[in-house]
Amino acid sequence: MTATRIQKKICMLGIFGVGKTSMVRRFVFEKFDDSYLSTIGVKVNQKILPPQENSEHKMIQHNLLIWDIEGFDDKTKPLNNYFIGSAGALVVADLTRMESITSLPTIFETFQAVAPEAKLVLVGNKMDLVDKEAPTLVELTQFAAEGDIAFLPTSAKTGENVEAAFQKLGLLLAD
Amino acid sequence: MDATFFKKLLDQNSFGYAFLNQDLRIRTHNRHLARFSMRDRNLEMALLTDLFPETVGLDQIFEEIFEQKRFSFELTHMNRESDEGQTIYFNFFLYGTGNKDIPYFFLVEDKTREAELAQELSQRSNEIRLLEGLLSARSGNVSARIWGQSLPIENLRAQIEKMGRIPTATILLQGESGTGKSMAARVLHESSHSSDAPFIEINCAAIPETLLESELFGYNKGAFTNAVTDKKGLLEEADGGTLFLDEIGEMSLPLQAKLLSFLETRKFRSLGSTSEKEVKIRLIAATNQDLGAMVKERRFREDLFYRLNVVRIQLPPLRDLGDDILIIAQNFILTLAAEFKKPVNSLDKPAANKLLNHNWPGNIRELRNAIERALIFCEGQKIGADDLHLGSLQRDEPSSSPLDRFKLPKDGLAFAAIEKKLLEDALKMSNGNQSRAAQLLQLSRDTFRYRLEKHDLI
Ligand SMILES: Nc1nc2c(ncn2[C@@H]2O[C@H](COP(=O)(O)OP(=O)(O)O)[C@@H](O)[C@H]2O)c(=O)[nH]1
Ligand SMILES: [Mg+2]
Repeated sequence: MTATRIQKKICMLGIFGVGKTSMVRRFVFEKFDDSYLSTIGVKVNQKILPPQENSEHKMIQHNLLIWDIEGFDDKTKPLNNYFIGSAGALVVADLTRMESITSLPTIFETFQAVAPEAKLVLVGNKMDLVDKEAPTLVELTQFAAEGDIAFLPTSAKTGENVEAAFQKLGLLLAD
Repeated sequence: MDATFFKKLLDQNSFGYAFLNQDLRIRTHNRHLARFSMRDRNLEMALLTDLFPETVGLDQIFEEIFEQKRFSFELTHMNRESDEGQTIYFNFFLYGTGNKDIPYFFLVEDKTREAELAQELSQRSNEIRLLEGLLSARSGNVSARIWGQSLPIENLRAQIEKMGRIPTATILLQGESGTGKSMAARVLHESSHSSDAPFIEINCAAIPETLLESELFGYNKGAFTNAVTDKKGLLEEADGGTLFLDEIGEMSLPLQAKLLSFLETRKFRSLGSTSEKEVKIRLIAATNQDLGAMVKERRFREDLFYRLNVVRIQLPPLRDLGDDILIIAQNFILTLAAEFKKPVNSLDKPAANKLLNHNWPGNIRELRNAIERALIFCEGQKIGADDLHLGSLQRDEPSSSPLDRFKLPKDGLAFAAIEKKLLEDALKMSNGNQSRAAQLLQLSRDTFRYRLEKHDLI
């Protein structure tokens, strides 16, 4: 049985520098770069996920259009148009910067106002730089639990959990 | 004004455009469109979503435009890699035409210049804030790696965190043997350097004088008989990072002079070389001796002492840390028990008292060794006072681990004989229990048995 290919648009959300571009680069190209190049606007990448069974036992295969969007920083620049038509979002926080966590409520609100049905996965990136008791990790775990949002710590640098985070989102999209 | 006027206008300003039918297929387009599209030929009748995947998911928008509920839609700063590998940026616009055959007009405008400027601006301000995040994460690690909460430890932590932020050229770590000078040096290094900056460590007491000089400064081919190739010195290896000189009190006076001259000029000459090299390093020196007293006895150069002494961090002896002894012991229990795969998780009360009443001449290193040995013997979940063998190794030799004092005699020694002696001692200490003996030597049982057989001890 061949899987039905379904195109889905997902957005990478988070303030600047949390590792959105690095997550995409790791996931799509299996690469990582320590140097930083700030993203302006949007870069769309594609990645085809392995076939999976949805809740109606049909084999489907997602072709993800991953929107790597610039950070939620410049308040004067509305990003709303970027979100239209998103089936999901990977929300990225940076475990080395508390500001990336305090900004999350605004990010969720803005995004969900445009795409209320979109599925969400939250990640705490740069886990290679902090230890397990880091206050940011504790805070983020709690935030995810309270909002009932799927959460994973990740490292775009070592690759840990990056694939898993996208797979998780893929799974949510399948239903 | 007619349509050709607009066509010309758009062409001349490098806009790309297309008219689309209701299925979002390209009906007509100009040549510039290809530059922005995923494909550079056969655009005719291609699907817009194939050429511009950025338009996937916009069904709602297209519908509104078709029904003329919406006049236009715009997305800004889409990125695309050009054939030459450069990033081009464009904005695109969708308009309704009111014409049922070609209801959509798609317009693309090059925004590369503008976006590059915006990129440079955000790059600069973001970089600084990212670095701050990185540094605070690192200093978080500092707090995590220095154990304890007593006043001397809080002071030490504050001092190390401060030094991590200030790029001082030299730091002197002073403290009794086993107080963690080497760990402090590493934490200082990590809190102020990127993860790939070199950290080079050398113990001045462990290396003969002449060798130390060539190790530090390097040599050129032919500098002395055995110098058959050029060799980089540790100063050069540490360029861009930290050089940690442990037991600097053991350095000879002539070598001290050479080190001082390096610290003053930041330049040095390899042995046998005529040209000077310049390196950027932070020097961390450590000693358990009283350098001030050594200066008075003329065993340490006064000028070098003053240069090193500018920033001095004193590491407190374990006996001054009060209940921190228990915190530190507990941390060792947890980390070492995991390593040894033992279900031990704490100390019982008498064991805790025993630790608090000991005077720890070998400091943290002695404590670590004591816990390690106790874990080997402990059978339950809690270490008892009897599991702790304090002072047995340290009483007559205050300086810590036996390895520190072991030196190869000048005329050598049979390695096999030592191995055999260690195996015999371990068997004796564990009353012939082979598993315990293997643990004492930190060998797997298989390796241990193999070695016993080798020496005919079975
Ligand atoms: N150590 C570490 N650095 C990371 C990780 N992810 C991203 N970075 C670095 O963080 C900086 C910002 O990453 P980037 O992907 O450009 O962030 P964006 O602005 O969210 O797209 C870059 O210097 C990356 O190399 C990670 O998991 N670990
Ligand atoms: Mg980015």
